[in-house]
Amino acid sequence: MNIRRSLLLLALFLPAYAPPALAQMDPWEFEVYGYQTVPRGMLEIESLNSVVLNGSRHGEKGTSKGTVPSQSMWRTAIEVTYGLTDRIEAAMYVNLAKPRGDDLQYAGSKFRLRGRLFDQGELPVDVGWYFELAYKRTPKYDDQKLELELRPILQRDVGDFSFIVSPKFEKILVGSEEKEGWEFGYVSGIYYRWMRAFSPGVEFYGAIGMMKHPDSTRDQQHYIFPVVRGEYRGIEYSVGPGFGLTHGSDRTLVKFNLGLEKYIGAIFGPSTNPLF
Amino acid sequence: MKPMILALSMILLFAGGRAFAAAAQDDIVELRYENRKFIPQTLNVPANKPFQIKIVNASKEAIEFESYKVNREKVVGPGETVTVNIPALKPGSYDFYDDFHRDVPEGKIVAK
Repeated sequence: MNIRRSLLLLALFLPAYAPPALAQMDPWEFEVYGYQTVPRGMLEIESLNSVVLNGSRHGEKGTSKGTVPSQSMWRTAIEVTYGLTDRIEAAMYVNLAKPRGDDLQYAGSKFRLRGRLFDQGELPVDVGWYFELAYKRTPKYDDQKLELELRPILQRDVGDFSFIVSPKFEKILVGSEEKEGWEFGYVSGIYYRWMRAFSPGVEFYGAIGMMKHPDSTRDQQHYIFPVVRGEYRGIEYSVGPGFGLTHGSDRTLVKFNLGLEKYIGAIFGPSTNPLF
Repeated sequence: MKPMILALSMILLFAGGRAFAAAAQDDIVELRYENRKFIPQTLNVPANKPFQIKIVNASKEAIEFESYKVNREKVVGPGETVTVNIPALKPGSYDFYDDFHRDVPEGKIVAK
């Protein structure tokens, strides 16, 4: 089977055939990262937003990891990213939450390095990597204190389509579940480059729970988001409704992410090493 | 550690195809940026064959070479030269531009 067909099948059927989570999603980040990193010397400020239209009225259900119910929860992550080199970017996030009937509150921080290997188009599939530490001191939103997340990122462009597959491996480093093993989830997307200002796509997010003992299929979380995205007057956007596919998922969400890029100057010259 | 080993194996697996992919990209076309314009403004390339664009920024300002349709973007600092891999293109015209300076006239890649 050729690579193109394998990737297409993987992107289409990964959500359906993921092994059988009280699965841990990151509901502050409904965004699919592709192979490309923020260009060297660029500063990007993003606002990743979502609201749960039809969720759970109890904590620790759906996208809620803590005691606060997901229903009507508004989440915003402010992400600041800088392109260190042609292949590596560094980012910091501040997560905010506004539960139903309450004020906007701090809900955790994340630090991330993301990179890519070789130049785009050198490999049959473009390969990237993702390393994240999530620092939380907000038990009502997540009772685990420090979490590590690792992802390979695989992207293949076929004509005007881009296919992105990114399995997620997560490990609690500090918290009541630190002795537990690795959790597995995924983020993937299929996009059609139609117009720079407006292009459609479909995104998939999910989690199965612990790799050694996954949650039952009913309790896992799987979401599909038809999205439109593009750039208008220098502002990048990605907007769309999300639909939970399992009993353990919230039923309906809406995501709307906005981003702004500005060149502020590069620290390093062009990359000569395929890894850095 | 199993996830780490799996991730590394996947990367190495795909890296194995690198030499093959790079070997197919023999054709290099040069694009120069100077006096707030691309020279030449039209790059004629063979269709259905991967190629590379060597971008020379002879100006005193940073630029970002970008092509939405080809899905490529690359920052080129003042005085720098970088190379961008372009996949095999179907016959047609594909625009490119300097994303930092929208007033700079767009160029196009014509594959035939």
